[in-house]
Amino acid sequence: MNQVRVGLLVAAALLAMPLTAAAQPKKDQPKEINLDDEGAEKPAEAPAEGEAAGTGEGEGETPGGEGEGLGDICKIDPSACPSINMDEAAKRDINAEMYAVQQIYALRRFRFEITPYFGITMNDQFVAHPAPGLGLNFYITNVLAVGVNGNFYAGLNSPSNFNFQTSRAARVGIPITEYAWNANANFSYVPAYGKFAGFGDFIFHYDFYVLGGVGAIATRPIAVVDPDNRTFEFKPRLSFHVGGGLRIFFNRWFAVVAELSDYIFFDELENPGIAIGNDVNGNPKAQDPTTWTAPETSFTNNVQAQVGFSVFLPFSWEYRLPK
Amino acid sequence: MMRRFVNSLCASRLLRRGMLAALTGCAALAMSAGAEAQEIQLTGPLAGAPAVRKLRLHRAGRIEITPSASFTLLDEYQRTIMPGLRVMYHPTDWLGVGLWGGYGIQSTTSLTDELQVKAIDERNCPADSNTATDTACKLTAVNLTRGNLAQDQLGRMQWVAAPQITVVPFRGKLSLFAALFVDTDISFFVGPAVIGVQERKPCGKDNDGNTLADTPCASQGSFELESRIAFAPTFGVGWNFYPTSFFGFGAEWRALPFAWNTSGFDNAGAGNDEAFPDTAVNNKDRQFRMNSMISVNLMFSLPMKVKNSD
Repeated sequence: MNQVRVGLLVAAALLAMPLTAAAQPKKDQPKEINLDDEGAEKPAEAPAEGEAAGTGEGEGETPGGEGEGLGDICKIDPSACPSINMDEAAKRDINAEMYAVQQIYALRRFRFEITPYFGITMNDQFVAHPAPGLGLNFYITNVLAVGVNGNFYAGLNSPSNFNFQTSRAARVGIPITEYAWNANANFSYVPAYGKFAGFGDFIFHYDFYVLGGVGAIATRPIAVVDPDNRTFEFKPRLSFHVGGGLRIFFNRWFAVVAELSDYIFFDELENPGIAIGNDVNGNPKAQDPTTWTAPETSFTNNVQAQVGFSVFLPFSWEYRLPK
Repeated sequence: MMRRFVNSLCASRLLRRGMLAALTGCAALAMSAGAEAQEIQLTGPLAGAPAVRKLRLHRAGRIEITPSASFTLLDEYQRTIMPGLRVMYHPTDWLGVGLWGGYGIQSTTSLTDELQVKAIDERNCPADSNTATDTACKLTAVNLTRGNLAQDQLGRMQWVAAPQITVVPFRGKLSLFAALFVDTDISFFVGPAVIGVQERKPCGKDNDGNTLADTPCASQGSFELESRIAFAPTFGVGWNFYPTSFFGFGAEWRALPFAWNTSGFDNAGAGNDEAFPDTAVNNKDRQFRMNSMISVNLMFSLPMKVKNSD
């Protein structure tokens, strides 16, 4: 009978063991919230030593463990249920150790940021240029990053009803263009960060960033004035990129990002006039590609709202100084 | 603590009474103990404490008077700058009721300027469309004035008044350059709005579809604006900063979704789904728009002294 009891005791210990192991901090969790580091490692030793009960008692001396599982105690033995006035307990003075400068929640220094996003046009009433995009950044310091980003517009440009209605009502041809792709090299700077308490209950962290860069965008006019004769090819053009955004951290490596970006370039538009007559070879001038585009380029701001998420790699880091 | 309790319980009292039941109970307890152990908020010196202590209550029990300037976004023909005023009372730090209103001042977009020059001034069509010989003049007689586009036919928001409820779920702080720190909150608001709209008066057919024989849309006399009252929901989100106890500033995005005719064009009323022009301008030519705007606010709170939470 004693052997059976011992066997059952071991079985009980084995049932408890994997769950207590789950309470250990994962490797990617930050150091400063591992309140039970010391105690969490002890249970793993228990089965090996065959001292399940004794090991458990030793853990109870961990100071941080006093508040665990009060609800379970109350369920099993209501008379032993400690009565705590949570409102009063919340108001008590706390002798917490405070620091002049607290650790920043999510450090960025020497980390990569991968940001897939989707952008929509904010300032072109005539043609929508939605685009999926990807941003890659490497943070040289906690506030400064170098990186690249790109947008892929091809196949997603769509002239709007507004364009059609305005052209029809006023009998005017409005030069419009479409984009194929856009790529930029950027510097990012994070001047502001902060945190919010949501509903007075949970806390989340956020930061602002601004960015600037240079790159290229491939565009071409959509033939409106003389579509019978004119077809255009995409051409890359120099573009500049300025923007800013907000990043809300869900944990130390995952954040939601909302950004407003302006891609600035000189665009080539369709010539509103049609060349008349024939050239020296007898061909219609209207079929001469050199007559298809307007003589002057147009200063263009392609303002995009971009929403996506950021993943920071590596997932964890060591703070240089203790908290 | 919980692990110690479960393990000692399994090893002693319960096991002596009923092995099978005790084992089942131990397994169940152990499972719940493992789940509890992950809630690290229950441990440490801050156990039981609220998320924020000594919070400066910038809104609770205070009246907020906010001069503002609103700027419409994504305008097709006319931009509106709307100086306004918002008065709010906040019974708690997270809830407020009040009224916002503004008066609109319009300026034309580059599209309007282009149309004025190329489609009106350069064409120089005769006022009487029956005497027009140019095709463009004939075909645009219903849609384009021969005078000033903005004054004769473009719709405009003259004024807005909106009672609203404001909820402030997020409260925090911001560090700028790791040197300047400021209290901040994010607010959401919703309410009904009354909008004074001016748009091209009905011509050709009235809003009920009756023919207006004396005002055909091709006549120059039909290019006049008429006022009406529109009702719409309004909602939005604001981000506010409080550098001092009685003064703050912020920005908010607001939507006023309703249908109106911003161009004065005849775009709809005939054909399938009434999606084609019917040579009449009336309510069928109104199109639904979000009418979003950004407001910049300067907030003054009374009484000037701010309370703190526990």
